[in-house]
Amino acid sequence: MESVQDVQYLDDLLNKTLHLHITDGRMFVGQLKCTDNERNIILAMTHEYRQPSPADVKLAAERHEKGGLPGNVKVDMRKRFLGLVVVPGQYIEKMEVEGPRTPHLTLEADAFDVLTSR
Amino acid sequence: MPEDDLAEEASQLTIDGEVSDGGDIGFAAKRLAQEARQTLSFGGASRGIRDVTEEFAAAAKQLQPGQLVKDEYFTLFEAVGALEIMDPKMDSGYVPPGDTLEPDFDVCKGLPAEQVLWIMDELLRLTAVWHDGYPLSQTIFTSLHVDRLLSPDNRAPYQLSYDDTALLVTTTEQRLVHVVLRAYCIALVKSCALVLHTIHSQNFYEEEDFVTHLFGRELLPSTGANDAIKLLDEAVKFLVGAEVDKVMRAALLERLQFARTYVSLLISDSADWNTLAAMERLAETHRLAQPIQEAFSDKVQRQLATSTPPRPMIAISWDEALQRWRAICADIVEADRLTCFDVCQSPYALHRAIWAFAYREPQPNTFTRAYLQAILFAGEQITEGMAFFDLMLADMRDLVLAGDVLADPQSFLVEMPSDPRHKCSRIVETFMDKAFDEYMNLYRMVCQNRCRIRRTFTQSVAIFDSLETEAMRTDAELDSITPGIVLPHEDGPGEVTLNPLTSWVNYYKLQTMAWTIQLGFETDIYLPHELSMMYWYLMVFARRRCKLVQHIGRFLAARRKTFVSSRDARQDDEAAASQQWLAVLHRQADLTALLSSALWQLSELLMTLDILQPPKRDFAQEQLLYDVRMKSYLGIAHDPIPTLEEYKSATQSDQSVEQSCNNINSTVADAKSCLVYMKKTTPEQGKYIGTEAQWKREIKQLETTCVAVAVQTSQLRRVADKHGMLMSTARDQSLKEVIEVSIPVPGSRYHDWWVVPQIRERKM
Repeated sequence: MESVQDVQYLDDLLNKTLHLHITDGRMFVGQLKCTDNERNIILAMTHEYRQPSPADVKLAAERHEKGGLPGNVKVDMRKRFLGLVVVPGQYIEKMEVEGPRTPHLTLEADAFDVLTSR
Repeated sequence: MPEDDLAEEASQLTIDGEVSDGGDIGFAAKRLAQEARQTLSFGGASRGIRDVTEEFAAAAKQLQPGQLVKDEYFTLFEAVGALEIMDPKMDSGYVPPGDTLEPDFDVCKGLPAEQVLWIMDELLRLTAVWHDGYPLSQTIFTSLHVDRLLSPDNRAPYQLSYDDTALLVTTTEQRLVHVVLRAYCIALVKSCALVLHTIHSQNFYEEEDFVTHLFGRELLPSTGANDAIKLLDEAVKFLVGAEVDKVMRAALLERLQFARTYVSLLISDSADWNTLAAMERLAETHRLAQPIQEAFSDKVQRQLATSTPPRPMIAISWDEALQRWRAICADIVEADRLTCFDVCQSPYALHRAIWAFAYREPQPNTFTRAYLQAILFAGEQITEGMAFFDLMLADMRDLVLAGDVLADPQSFLVEMPSDPRHKCSRIVETFMDKAFDEYMNLYRMVCQNRCRIRRTFTQSVAIFDSLETEAMRTDAELDSITPGIVLPHEDGPGEVTLNPLTSWVNYYKLQTMAWTIQLGFETDIYLPHELSMMYWYLMVFARRRCKLVQHIGRFLAARRKTFVSSRDARQDDEAAASQQWLAVLHRQADLTALLSSALWQLSELLMTLDILQPPKRDFAQEQLLYDVRMKSYLGIAHDPIPTLEEYKSATQSDQSVEQSCNNINSTVADAKSCLVYMKKTTPEQGKYIGTEAQWKREIKQLETTCVAVAVQTSQLRRVADKHGMLMSTARDQSLKEVIEVSIPVPGSRYHDWWVVPQIRERKM
């Protein structure tokens, strides 16, 4: 039995940006366009992300050292643009949705400046 | 991440000092801090990410099987193009179990000369394939050395080992890779960038002609072509002194020389591509190479930005690849020759030159066609001293206004505003502005692939038709300032004027209409039973063109009579040349009309005898089929095309089979006499300077076609006679049982624009 709330919940997620983590370790980030009862997901404007390899980490560390940068080394995930993809539900391990970029954030920054302005 | 810091700070918002009006600002600060925490505390690191795995799964499970929740604008039609992740056939990033993501090959390791040679030849082969239009992901990007150089992590000066741990390059084998192979790869990549630049700067069709996609990679932006040449020179210097076998050294030097010549030719404006084709020794030394397949892999596609499924690497043989290279060089050399100064002086000769280029065998590839377009259109003028305007004016002058003051370049220089020449020139200029784009398309569109030529010209027909309206208005205006010659009407009472601009536009309209049909035959869009109708229309269009040329010729002759003094010598010469040329044009149009008439009659006879039949279509309506087929011509307002009824009544005939065959034969005989005339025409008379070989070849093909028509007709006559049907009017008789016909496909015809049905007696 399907409840209206479930459809509404899914409907509300349409066009939001999802992060899908799948079984082989890759992550797909794209806009939700379509889904069904098997949790098959169609994403638009999708980027595929991979965990950096040991070689990538090593390279980033070397460059970090060379550059004399402080703090921890940051290694970007490998990313490439794919476009329209469909991810079969069976491969999805974890699903995240990006929160809205609220206007508060910008306003907050301004308020912060204002409040602590010298 | 900045948002993290913001959350930190926001949660520690305090107020400096006391504020007298109570807690407002304090309250606001606390509120903001709270909201900031909430907005940012979705549990994830940045941008507020919220785990919805369980919720989503639960909600989805509640849907009915087959029920979709989708965006209202998202169509299932689009969904078909979605790449299915984890499907090996669709997911270019899928790594089969047991396989590694990246190929297991160390591009920094030194290699023996034989293997470096093989890699260089393999890259040459792949570049040839790329020129055919295959994407980089299936060709040059599959080289692991190139992949490393182009890696997004790599930076100038683009070494093979960019992890900054200093790699000691000491041995000869290492240097062969890091100095020689690297220079070669960089040069080839820069050459690709230059080729892409040429292609992009001109007209072409993505995916149809060529795939320009770079898959998210850049082509060594910090290195220029000249830097690449320097690297090649250094590589040569190293090789000359290196400890390498003499024969291998020579072979490697040839490859470096090839790469150097190739990139140099691409950056130079006037260069001789024959030098590249002269690298024949490449073929001989190829056998010295030792394969090292591991240096190439389609696994690179896993890391390239691609919205398409994984695609295989292309396999053509080394010999075929060399053939491609030779063809590219030959095409470019020919493109230079065909657009030389002399040819460009005559618009018609230039037209012919571009058609001749398009019809080279094998057909020139996208790059060479872009190269030809660039020669003509990239600059401010067609050729030295000939602006686009001059070309167009020359076209009008040659065709309709030879010796006439209206198209005299001198008239355009007159500055006195009251002078009629000044007034008329401005009016003509305005008209030329309007016609400019479509006129230039007559040249530019022939540089596209064959199907696109036909399709663009079908659209041009409508544009020329509307230009004709404009031309009529302009002609009336010109006539009011400088009245033209008036002659009695060709057929009927009354008088007629030349209407030069209208005639000019009408000529190109009719020519384009004919071309669309003929290209339709070449691209095989007509069914066998449509041959009759299409040839009939081609005959009609060609006959109209004949009449138009005659109309222009009458006025040209009348104009010549007005040249009385020696002052008019120049105009008279111009008019004389135009007259000779118009005579040739007349013959050409006549030939087209006659040959299409013959083929119309033959196809029609075959249909009447039930040998050629339309397919059985229960729901088809004749008028609808006609409308769809003739769609591009139905909108013509000026001198509309004959209707379906008119076609059908023209086709009604009570002739016997024998009479029909006789008619076909006499039509063919007339066509042959046109060819005789054309054979005697000189390049100056026919304006075919630069395309003499093509002129001769085409005449030969048309002669063969005429003979073929006659042969097939006599074949038909013979069999009909055998079955006593020669005298029948064939309305109710069928020769279907005894005769079969086959329609030659494009490529197997004597001339691809002329379809001669092959008639055979059935084996009983």
